Amino acid sequence: MSSNESPTDNTSRLGEWKTFIFIIVFLFPILSVMLFGGYGFIVWMMQLLMGPPGHG
Amino acid sequence: MKQLIKKFWRTFSTPSVHLSFGLLTMGGFIAGIIFWGGFNTALEVTNTEEFCIGCHEMSDNVYVELQETVHWQNRSGVRATCPDCHVPHNWTDKMARKMQASKEVWGAIFGTIDTREKFLAKRGELAQHEWDRLTANNSLECKNCHNYDSMDFSIMSERAQVQMKMAAERDQSCIDCHKGIAHHLPENMNSGEGMLGKLEEMATSGYQTGQAYYSVRQLPLFEDQGLSTEAGQLNAATKVKVLAIEGNAIQVEIDAWRKTKGFGRVLFEDFAMNINDGYLTKEVAQSDQFMTQGESKTDDLTGLPWQKVNVTLWMRNGSLTDSRDTLWTFAKSTYDSSCSVCHTQPAEAHFDTNTWPGMFNGMLSFVNLDGDTQALVLKYLQKHSSDFSDAH
Repeated sequence: MSSNESPTDNTSRLGEWKTFIFIIVFLFPILSVMLFGGYGFIVWMMQLLMGPPGHG
Repeated sequence: MKQLIKKFWRTFSTPSVHLSFGLLTMGGFIAGIIFWGGFNTALEVTNTEEFCIGCHEMSDNVYVELQETVHWQNRSGVRATCPDCHVPHNWTDKMARKMQASKEVWGAIFGTIDTREKFLAKRGELAQHEWDRLTANNSLECKNCHNYDSMDFSIMSERAQVQMKMAAERDQSCIDCHKGIAHHLPENMNSGEGMLGKLEEMATSGYQTGQAYYSVRQLPLFEDQGLSTEAGQLNAATKVKVLAIEGNAIQVEIDAWRKTKGFGRVLFEDFAMNINDGYLTKEVAQSDQFMTQGESKTDDLTGLPWQKVNVTLWMRNGSLTDSRDTLWTFAKSTYDSSCSVCHTQPAEAHFDTNTWPGMFNGMLSFVNLDGDTQALVLKYLQKHSSDFSDAH
């Protein structure tokens, strides 16, 4: 976050808000997309190895 | 930077001092809903035709070709868009396909198929990917709309009925036969259409009663002169004797053998030879009304009992020829050209009559032959196999 905060042991109210917003707006969405993308990628690689998905 | 991460981790991993429990959970909950909505919206956007044809590779090639087909415009006003057929509908396969599209992004950036010539050169390979996929999933994307159970066979043309009923029985993959239905086929691929015309051209007209003729393709058989009750199907290049000609209908006699295991529905040309002459419905196969039964013999090799039968049924006037030679010439050229695309085709007499069906069916998925041509080529191979030749 911004550098104008004093590094205290107890996180400031502003610091908590900033962290919270950062997490829900950027971190978790990005991680989720990476997770789904990674899952899709792994399935794709499996399909390359074991052939296209069958029926059943 | 390191400091920043450390500080973040400290806030992240300790209970909040200033923000209430309710705010954090509620905030996370709402953010989750918004994210999931946004994620699916983004996924939907990449699943639209506008998105697909955003690249000129798609809009100038395959999209234009689609516009000539029934999947673009038809009397019922339902159309298929790119993702209907080309993106799997179930979530996991869809995600995999979306990731796979990273390769297409690569191709778009580096211009893998950015000219018509490059596209045409690669069409065979690209088409094969889609055929492999549809073959593996039994044409799932087709069947999302088309359903064998919902097909009204009675309003199909007779030729379509014959093929579609057989396909429905086996829940056959649509792509087995319907390649090139929405886009052009790769060059050098035989198109199924036109074959029928060529076969029909070989038919002669003005049949004589008492004479023997051969069917040019698979033809429906009927119990009655009115051609209303279905009795089975005559295979291609099958010998029939014309008994009577009544306008639109002809009565024919089929001299065949059948195995007396089961209902004995399948007719064969000769004893212990699996050369298909056609099949009968269960009712006809079990009735004495349409056939006389001859001698019975057991095939020592398989231990199966065979029986000679003489079947008399009605069929539509036409599609018969007086000699198999033209049919064989056509079958031979199809065999030579289709099979040599991938390998040197074995000589006809390399296998015996009963080995050919297995060999032939194993190779069918690599070529694009319609049902009539398949039946004809197989029969040609069987009739020119080592059982009928001195070459081997």
